[in-house]
Amino acid sequence: MKLLNVINGVNRQLIFFYNCKAVDKGEFHIKTSFCGGNHIGGSNVKDNVLCDFYKISDLLHNLEANMESLKRKLLEDTIKDSEAPPLKQHRENGLVGLDDSVACVHDVSYPEGYVPLNLTLANQEGVKPAKEFPFKLDPFQSEAIRCLDHGESVMVSAHTSAGKTVVALYAIAMSLQNKQRVIYTSPIKALSNQKYREFKEEFSDVGLMTGDVTIDPNASCLVMTTEIWRSMQYKGSEVTREVAWIIFDEVHYMRDRERGVVWEESIVMAPKNSQFVFLSATVPNAKEFADWVAKVHQQPCHIVYTDYRPTPLQHYIFPSGGNGLYLAVDEKGKFREDSFQKALNALVPVSEGDRKRENGKWQKGLVVGKAGEDSDIFKMVKMIIQRQYDPVICFSFSKRECEFLAMQMAKMDLNDDDEKVNVETIFWSAMDMLSDDDKKLPQVSNMLPLLKRGIGVHHSGLLPILKEVIEILFQEGFIKCLFATETFSIGLNMPAKTVVFTNVRKFDGDKFRWISSGEYIQMSGRAGRRGIDERGICILMVDEKIEPSTAKLMLKGSADPLNSAFHLSYNMLLNQIRSEDGDPENLLRNSFYQFQADRAIPELEKQAKVLEEERDSIIIEEEDSLENYYSLLKQYKTLKKDVRDIVFSRKHCLPFLQPGRLVCIQCTKNDEPSSSFSINDEVTWGVIINFERVTGLSEDDVNKKAEDANYTVDVLTRCRVHKDEVAKKTIKIVPLKDPGEPAVISIPTSQIDSLSSARLPIPRDLLPLESRENTLKKASEVVSRISKEGIPFLDPEDDMKVQSSSYRKTVRRIEALENLFEKHEIAKSPLIEQKLRVLHQKKELTDKIKSIRRTMRSSSALAFKDELKARKRVLRRLGYITSDDVVELKGKVAGEISSADELTLTELMFSGVFKDMKVEEIVSLLSCFVWQEKLQEAQKPRDELEFLFTQLRDIARRVAKVQLECKVQIDVENFVSSFRCDIMEAVYAWAKGSKFYQIMEITQVFEGSLIRAIRRLEEVLQQLIQAAKSIGETQLEAKFEDAVAKIKRDIVFAASLYL
Amino acid sequence: MRGLQLSLNKNQKLRVERALEQLESLSLKSNSDASVTVADNISVDCEDAILKGHGTTELDGRVVATLCGVVERVNKLVYVRALRARYKPEIGDIIVGRVIEVAPKRWRLEINFSQDAVLMLSSMNLPDGIQRRRTAIDELNMRSIFEENDVICAEVRGFQHDGCLHLQARSQKYGKLERGQLLTIPPYLVKKRKQHFHHLEQYGIDLILGCNGYVWVGEHVEVKDPMLVDQSNKSEQQIADAENSTSANEVETCTPLETRQNICRTANAIRVLSTLGFMITVEVITEIVNLSTSLNLDIHEMLGPEFYVLVAEKEAERRSTLRKKR
Repeated sequence: MKLLNVINGVNRQLIFFYNCKAVDKGEFHIKTSFCGGNHIGGSNVKDNVLCDFYKISDLLHNLEANMESLKRKLLEDTIKDSEAPPLKQHRENGLVGLDDSVACVHDVSYPEGYVPLNLTLANQEGVKPAKEFPFKLDPFQSEAIRCLDHGESVMVSAHTSAGKTVVALYAIAMSLQNKQRVIYTSPIKALSNQKYREFKEEFSDVGLMTGDVTIDPNASCLVMTTEIWRSMQYKGSEVTREVAWIIFDEVHYMRDRERGVVWEESIVMAPKNSQFVFLSATVPNAKEFADWVAKVHQQPCHIVYTDYRPTPLQHYIFPSGGNGLYLAVDEKGKFREDSFQKALNALVPVSEGDRKRENGKWQKGLVVGKAGEDSDIFKMVKMIIQRQYDPVICFSFSKRECEFLAMQMAKMDLNDDDEKVNVETIFWSAMDMLSDDDKKLPQVSNMLPLLKRGIGVHHSGLLPILKEVIEILFQEGFIKCLFATETFSIGLNMPAKTVVFTNVRKFDGDKFRWISSGEYIQMSGRAGRRGIDERGICILMVDEKIEPSTAKLMLKGSADPLNSAFHLSYNMLLNQIRSEDGDPENLLRNSFYQFQADRAIPELEKQAKVLEEERDSIIIEEEDSLENYYSLLKQYKTLKKDVRDIVFSRKHCLPFLQPGRLVCIQCTKNDEPSSSFSINDEVTWGVIINFERVTGLSEDDVNKKAEDANYTVDVLTRCRVHKDEVAKKTIKIVPLKDPGEPAVISIPTSQIDSLSSARLPIPRDLLPLESRENTLKKASEVVSRISKEGIPFLDPEDDMKVQSSSYRKTVRRIEALENLFEKHEIAKSPLIEQKLRVLHQKKELTDKIKSIRRTMRSSSALAFKDELKARKRVLRRLGYITSDDVVELKGKVAGEISSADELTLTELMFSGVFKDMKVEEIVSLLSCFVWQEKLQEAQKPRDELEFLFTQLRDIARRVAKVQLECKVQIDVENFVSSFRCDIMEAVYAWAKGSKFYQIMEITQVFEGSLIRAIRRLEEVLQQLIQAAKSIGETQLEAKFEDAVAKIKRDIVFAASLYL
Repeated sequence: MRGLQLSLNKNQKLRVERALEQLESLSLKSNSDASVTVADNISVDCEDAILKGHGTTELDGRVVATLCGVVERVNKLVYVRALRARYKPEIGDIIVGRVIEVAPKRWRLEINFSQDAVLMLSSMNLPDGIQRRRTAIDELNMRSIFEENDVICAEVRGFQHDGCLHLQARSQKYGKLERGQLLTIPPYLVKKRKQHFHHLEQYGIDLILGCNGYVWVGEHVEVKDPMLVDQSNKSEQQIADAENSTSANEVETCTPLETRQNICRTANAIRVLSTLGFMITVEVITEIVNLSTSLNLDIHEMLGPEFYVLVAEKEAERRSTLRKKR
């Protein structure tokens, strides 16, 4: 806290100095003397300087307002924007005139059987509000605050920048006024720190509890991470009995796959008499969430929802390799089809060399320009600066990419000399708390030059302290261009004028997928500074073709719904079983997951009914024999498809997809959904032009392996093109003889029926219609000529070298089936096609009904019931609980461990492994529990550590196997390999007392990641100390304490600048 | 059963001895060699990585018991479970205790442990279940919640930094116990179960088997399940309700005779069981109560020698049938 004050102080004054330089020369000395003092770094000297500074800052306090305006003016000057809007300093100015157009939706969820109390509003009128704000509130804010005044829970769903904090502030003020406690939870430690600071300035009675620090836990307003709040509830802290309001910030985190469940637990277990404030990004199903809260807590829950953005957004597209921006969505939310198409046309196709993305690693389209040519990102930033769209945040989806992009800005300098000096001062005064060795860390020393030029990097791999300095510099406007990862998009208000998405795809664990509209909304929320910018600008860098519909979905789509990510954990079960009131089933019954499942049932029931009626209305003669025929047909089709899959797998067919080859392709069916029912598909001919790997919509890609369907073939063939009223083109492939245009279309390899051995010469330029027409004519000539003597198809076995036994087997079965067809009576019926179609319809209906029934069954039963049983079985098998659900010693130990895999760690402890280990080894071994990132080229740890690691893996395997035997769904090997030994050496060295720069030489991981791991390791150790205490093993307890003492030092545990 | 002092006639003596013999023969043999006294060696088949838990220490390279009891092993952990020890609190235990002092912001409770326990005002739910406000009035009103000599029931929260044992009352069902009997039995006879609160509907009584050996038998009190409480009306109606019910209670000053008899009967059943040294669970207690009513025994007759013998025989029978079932 102190430090930041200094920084702010410094900053303020420096700005003052540099604004008033010309005015007052006398003040100038102070500045220099301060800088000097700071560099010395001795605490005494520093304190003196500090004192001086406070004095000065007092003296200058009255000038502050002037300085502010001066600063703004200066900014204005530097922008030199003739059209710059009149600058609005404070929000109250910025909002006037906007208010009336800003709508919000207000709704209330009442619990069943609830009779709304007719609170007479009259007595509310006279009461002074708990807090008054110096600006006019937006409608949604005042609406939410009205709910608070009534003492009822509220869920506020609005964009990041809309100003939800106001509601939180009001709730806090209200509780403090009533002498009640209030809890504010946020998903991230860093955010908690920032909020703590923010609240501390506003209300003094504020405490902070995160895994790292605890400040004033008896304060009336407590800021904490949600995990801490959950464990407080399990342990039965006194806070739970005094808290009147609980504020859950960023509650949409509930959909987080790993941590989301923590929110659900906390909300379900929350004291029954407290009220809630939920702050969330825009979610379409806010009402559903509120209904759940109302049901679980038997209290009304208001919903205040607004789409409103204080600054409207413009969305542009920057095609890679292109030179300009294309407006895709204007500030009124209209999608500009034409300019979107223009953008796509401007897309310079990626050169051939870059197309080799086959081996999974998907190289970004952000090509480092060829020698002498600037990279896209450089061009982009240059353009942004020229157009005065700065400050800008460039989002990318990996830490490495972030740094890589920042490095490309090497030539750019966005700060003037004065700003440089300021940056340096702030930077070093923050780094002051580091030891001299740590100051020499490459990350630290490399960052400064970048920062001085006004360029910043922000991702989780940075040292926490650097991250914070960069945040501060960004807020102060010294960073004009920030390269950040997604994490920057949540939390504290740090807006920029422009947001750039350097990529349209994001790797989410197993594949690259499009950015979801929800993510887009969240990140684009950083664009546009309230009261400063007239509108925010979002730029999407596109390096591949996107369908307009996809783009529309991304840019204009709705926010992601808030869905439950509930799952069970052993720690949760043990804690629930342990407490007298606790009952895991109760938790499950009250979970949002269950709520959502229950809610879907009536709807499903209705659907099933309708479908059943429809099915029963279909009556077919001779159904049995028809069905027989139908199933044969089905088999035949699947077999055919199997054959095609084998033949046209990448391995086999790619060498034959040369341009000019005549191919036999399937025609597009007339009635799309039901497949044709004749034995022979309608086929036609075309000429191969080209083939390429597809990167279609991610959803489609998922199911297919990189091997088979990821290729499309461009084929010249005859098509019929329809244009319906929506201006959407539908293209149908028709036989060559039919009327239609010759066109080149892309088809998946699966649509190819067979390849012929004939190849045609194709003209170089296919753009003119005649040349295409001619080629097709030639093709049809060839076809008619050769078809007389039997078309020479490429034989799969002889020509294409398909040599799998499965291929031969399938072919034989097809032959057998063909025989059966001939014998079939019904096949001769003239109406067979129609009949089959009807039957097919009926079958489809039956399938649909079945699947609906299945979902209904699974959701009407208590969700997770089976898993709960299985997990309890595991706990019994391993001796954690008794058969009548009493927690045993081992269970008590495992119940203490919440920051690592509780079962494995408990088993490890009870196997006595720790007993003979040295403290450093313990720490090193525990690091396997907290490290999850995958490293490509991590070196193996030394033999002693390796040996320990094998022991750990053995135990993990045993635990996993027990779980599997108890029918918990688990992938044993996956589980075992989730323990990673990558940072064992580094942590070992750290525990031995090495300097941080030394351990950074040992390992390749990011500094920030390592620090996070070690901090989490400390959390685990603290939990282990408690565990050791509970089994009475004092020596082990002492060992763990020693371990904590060994790792808790220096930069790794350097206090946050916000504190 | 040692130290059992009852005036039995010859026949009764014989029957008791037979029952006890039977019980002994039924008890698991496996643990008998594991019992140790202080300073006994605990054999740890030369395994180095042994974890020494409660009741053990290392002496000259040997693991030595510091308690009389049974050696228990969980994987590599060795600890001694004391046989007849004083109550030792564990987090989450349900206990019954008696207020001995009202101190600033806290009550001091006697809980049959070597030190007194502390129940903070802030760890206590307010009587009407509303969230507490941090005001001084609360502190002044502490006596309106509990006074000296009140019997209350709470949950062990754990040892706090100051070394005190802290208690807490998580929900409405904890709190002051009225209209009933407090029994003291050896704490090791109370079996740790998932539930320690029992409502014996057929008798209209509540039974709280405190882990600390304090057992509460009293008239049943309806606890409003917080999950079902309609909070909407809490502001007025509930408070009104609470007032009504308390005033109603005051008017109706006595518990019905039948309930009082049931309380005494149950209490005597527990007395008999604990004197005989049998594990006490709610099932066993109801069985004994039923036995006494089926024999048409008066309440005071339950403490006569004949009933003790009957109970011992019954228990022996019960255990042997249990054994057979397995």
